[in-house]
Amino acid sequence: MLKRTLLATVCTAVLLTGAAQAQDCLTEPGTIGFLPKLDTDPYFQVANDGAKEAAGEMGGTVIQAAPSQATAEAQVEFINNLVAQQVDVIAISGNDANAVAPALKRAAANGVRVISYDSDVAQGARTVFVNQALGSSLAEMMLQSMNDMIGKGKFAILSSTPTATNQNAWIEQMRGELDSNPDYSGLELVTVVYGEESEQVNQQQALALAQTYPDLKGIIVPAGIGLPAAARALEEAGMTGQIKLTGLAPASLIRKYIEDGSVQDIWWNVTDLGYLAYHAAQAVAMCKITGEEGETFDAGRLGSYTVGKAGEVVLGPAKIVTPENVDEFKF
Amino acid sequence: MKRPAWISNWDAFICAVAVAVLLIGFLAFKNFGSAFNISQMIAGVSERALIVLPMMLLLITRDIDLSVASTLALTSVVLGLLLQAGMPLAPAIVLTLVSGGLLGAFNGALVTVVGLPSLVVTLGTMALFRGIGYMLLGSGSVNVLPDALLDFGFTNVAGLPVPWTIVPFLVILPIFAVVLHRTILGRRIFAIGGNPMTALYSGISVERIRFGLFVFSGVICSIAGIIYTARLANARANNAFGMELDVITIAMLGGVSVFGGKGGVVGVVGALCLVALIRNLLGINGVGGDAQSTLIGIMLIAALLAGTFVPRVVASARRRRDNKVLGGTRNA
Repeated sequence: MLKRTLLATVCTAVLLTGAAQAQDCLTEPGTIGFLPKLDTDPYFQVANDGAKEAAGEMGGTVIQAAPSQATAEAQVEFINNLVAQQVDVIAISGNDANAVAPALKRAAANGVRVISYDSDVAQGARTVFVNQALGSSLAEMMLQSMNDMIGKGKFAILSSTPTATNQNAWIEQMRGELDSNPDYSGLELVTVVYGEESEQVNQQQALALAQTYPDLKGIIVPAGIGLPAAARALEEAGMTGQIKLTGLAPASLIRKYIEDGSVQDIWWNVTDLGYLAYHAAQAVAMCKITGEEGETFDAGRLGSYTVGKAGEVVLGPAKIVTPENVDEFKF
Repeated sequence: MKRPAWISNWDAFICAVAVAVLLIGFLAFKNFGSAFNISQMIAGVSERALIVLPMMLLLITRDIDLSVASTLALTSVVLGLLLQAGMPLAPAIVLTLVSGGLLGAFNGALVTVVGLPSLVVTLGTMALFRGIGYMLLGSGSVNVLPDALLDFGFTNVAGLPVPWTIVPFLVILPIFAVVLHRTILGRRIFAIGGNPMTALYSGISVERIRFGLFVFSGVICSIAGIIYTARLANARANNAFGMELDVITIAMLGGVSVFGGKGGVVGVVGALCLVALIRNLLGINGVGGDAQSTLIGIMLIAALLAGTFVPRVVASARRRRDNKVLGGTRNA
């Protein structure tokens, strides 16, 4: 089935171009087309700064263009545009892992290599996936951060939606750690509530938690939109510092709360993500890596990286953002 | 050679602009003319090209169908589920077309039998149809599809940079154009939009034609749904999200009036080509989606302004000239 699809795609490519171009190994850095999920998302602009930094050091060119809507269909058009511009490698953050795969395979049949970064696409459609952090380490770190801040007492979790796959996995893992790890014996998880990806609901839930549990010491918010919202709600209620917060969010959005010690945060260096993705893309273009587990490549100031299982390259452990290191996080 | 009556000044103008942009593309951008780019540009408009046809008819009769993209998505989900359940491709396609017709009939019945405004009805079904799609398939997708369907979505007509996905449009377009501009039914559609009461008292079965147009819209959307499923190898409920706005933009840029009674196939096809060309040229020069949409928006506003003011300016200039001629003769 998959083979037939691939075959059809290859045949198309042959029909389209007259003759499919062979994927020659470049001898020097080529052109990398970055295709983020969304055009004007600051997250991807910061990542692109990292890619440009890498291009300035090692040579080659970065171009970046993305759709105004975060849909697979819109992204397919931009994949085609990048192929038409004859880039050497497309680096994509997939809006939809499967729906963009056929277009990426068609790109490959036209001599363009593909890597994914930030958000993976179907494994057969890319060489490597540059992942910012392993999910399992994120859950562990959120718990550790909560333990750092409150040490002992009750805390709650304010997640995104009841059906969010990755959040649910983290919550499961945290429950497991609480049961088995003596380091966290002082922590008591009282409840899990949901902010439904809405700023307003997150604010209401944070305040409701504070009222329901007068002795609540902290809230873990493993969702990017929820943590800043909860921090603002507590500030407006005059409870900043009384209930400590940690979770996942761009550090720049909650910088002032991190600086005053009432919030910590798990985050990664977004600039480095773009920097690493650029190096990985050039390594693929120059045939230094093919996505096999165990291959290594050099990523400039970040050092050497090894391709892991299923072609995954992990930027590194995320960091707990504290008043001491908050300046490192530009996004 | 005199221009036929069914091509307006605007139609000719928008086509001339599209041809000019096409020439600029070939001459100024080396990546533009590649067979790959041309074929993918055409493939990218396959669904919009189809859906804009019923949309222009509805606009001409002073109606609108905002549920087109949701109908596309729901019929795509229906097709995906039927195929997933093991039904062969041919009957699955037939059932998908029928379901599209039924969705259109639902809109049509609310508008013509119950008498609700189409804007409100289809605003409701826009959310309803997509919602049903989510209920049937959740946020997941069906992406294991028969080879025949995938080949249709991926391959070109032998040896040409013309993808198969545009072929249904190329087949329907001439029939559509002849029916609209050369038959009694076409004249009746214009008459309804021109003045519904006059049309009614002239013996035209206004409601029946309007109902039929909604059904037509539903069926065309289901064809687009099949094509979309094949092209993206994916049946899912969020397919074609926001496409209704693109389609309405193209129709209006093509000179179809929201006030009804006005519009032509040539202008709409010209506008379709123009929007596709501009998006593609911007895209292959690294301009992002937000800037592209901004430019298309500016074009639409400019076109509306031109459509409103140019005839007035022309008319007043003509009046002044006539006055002068009259005055001149009087003085002499």
